[in-house]
Amino acid sequence: MIREFNFKFDELVIDYKKIESILGYTSGQLPPPFNYYLEEALTEAKCLADIRGCYRVMDDPVILEKENKILINDEVFEVGKTLCKEMRGSERLAFFICTAGSVISQKSETLLHGDDPVLGYVYDVLGSSIVEAAGDRLQSILEQKVESKQEKITNRYSPGYCQWPVWDQHKLFSLFQGSTSGVSLTASALMTPVKSISGVIGIGKGVRYREYTCTLCSGKACIYRKIRDGMQIPLV
Amino acid sequence: MKHELLQKLSEYVEFGKINQSSPYPPQMKGELGADELTRQLLDAGVEAQEILTSGLMPGMERIGLKFRANQVFVPQVLMSAKAMNAAMIHLKPYFASGAAKQKGTFIIGTVMGDLHDIGKNLVAMMVEGNGYKVIDLGTDVNSEKFITAVRENPDAVVGLSALLTTTMVNMEKITKEIKEAVPGTLVAIGGAPVNEDFCKKIGADAYSSDPQGVVEFLNSKVA
Ligand code: B12
Repeated sequence: MIREFNFKFDELVIDYKKIESILGYTSGQLPPPFNYYLEEALTEAKCLADIRGCYRVMDDPVILEKENKILINDEVFEVGKTLCKEMRGSERLAFFICTAGSVISQKSETLLHGDDPVLGYVYDVLGSSIVEAAGDRLQSILEQKVESKQEKITNRYSPGYCQWPVWDQHKLFSLFQGSTSGVSLTASALMTPVKSISGVIGIGKGVRYREYTCTLCSGKACIYRKIRDGMQIPLV
Repeated sequence: MKHELLQKLSEYVEFGKINQSSPYPPQMKGELGADELTRQLLDAGVEAQEILTSGLMPGMERIGLKFRANQVFVPQVLMSAKAMNAAMIHLKPYFASGAAKQKGTFIIGTVMGDLHDIGKNLVAMMVEGNGYKVIDLGTDVNSEKFITAVRENPDAVVGLSALLTTTMVNMEKITKEIKEAVPGTLVAIGGAPVNEDFCKKIGADAYSSDPQGVVEFLNSKVA
């Protein structure tokens, strides 16, 4: 069954600390105009009506650890070694799609290429935080649901991370039979609106939840790693 | 006096002081900004070329170095770019008439299949701020568009950006096709998944993990 949600901005837990650190400041230290910009973007974000998400739980996944693959029905997901390990013990898998919507995606793009790239960047960073928060919300809804059966969930993992190729998103999207929360895929497997994520969460009595940290990623030039190193603050 | 004002202008760019009414940066509140000071310098008879070379570019270079050293982050660089733009509005007529010249042309785009563009925009702004004419072809750009732009701008250097491992393949294809179509064209690449080895493997001419790196490459080749 596909479950779909419309999220209100206010029900999401936005990581303000992280937004501030991406903007280059420690918490509570945003100087003008960044503090005004963030306030402006937040005020507008409260009116967003197109933050959406959906998931579909699939039974009986076959996790082929030696081949770094997961089989669902007739579909083969080439998830890679790390993910096979993370999904170990999953009795079911929840595939998901989440989006901060086209309004904020477009707003940031227009500003970035137009009048005010700085404000555009603030919207961009906020948009990314919103879709991640929507992912968190979806994850906690799922967690509550499975808790009644004494089951646990893993963290969420996306195509493009940990050697799982992005083009597997075509297979992932096909599981949703068109009900993809307004998100579509380009031929090269990118999602529009831009501020969207997709992925998988393992469910089962024996699964483990592990935080996603920089150690799982090989991106040396990553801006987040630089912020973490530059400001010496623990960012994941 | 002129030197002090040019020095001040470089600080306005470095710290992102756009104009007098801008509250940023807090320590310069109430002062003029790049906008007014550029106008003043032009009115006082300082050449547009000198304003660019001795006022704006040093400021942009300093912010680039700070960004490389993780002392500032994207928003601060964007503020500098904004201050630079405010100054450039006054200088544009001099570039149009040929009274002032940019160092060369840089064509940049995010390669086919990829929609990420913040990094690419940042590179474009920094390169422009360091005295080059920049032609930004946008995102999802194929070989054909790059080649057309190179033909229209002989001697331009091309910059390719990719943020996904999947689109790195397209980087290789585009680099080869540009070099085949217009031999001798220099191609610089960048983006989170790209590195020096990949650059060598695909026959590109320079890899850099940050905008300052490509500015240095351009300065070594063009200027
Ligand atoms: C923010 C972010 C998002 C946001 C917003 C994305 C957006 N486009 O707006 C959200 C959360 C929505 C997102 C989603 C996804 N993302 Co994302 N995302 C990022 C993140 C964390 C930061 C990107 C960013 O804004 N950087 C800021 C700019 C300033 O940095 P930059 O682009 O790297 O540019 C700098 C340098 O690289 C360099 N540079 C760039 N271009 C050039 C060019 C030249 C010539 C030169 C010299 C230098 C240069 O200079 C710039 C300034 O220093 C990166 C991680 C990372 N390492 O960067 C992942 C990352 C790009 N995402 C990734 C993935 C996989 C995805 C998804 C596919 C995941 C999914 N399935 O849900 C989706 C796809 C979304 C879509 N629409 O299709 C992967 C891609 C990996 C891969 N193997 O291909 C990354 C690398 C994360 C990772 N660790 O694996 N993402």
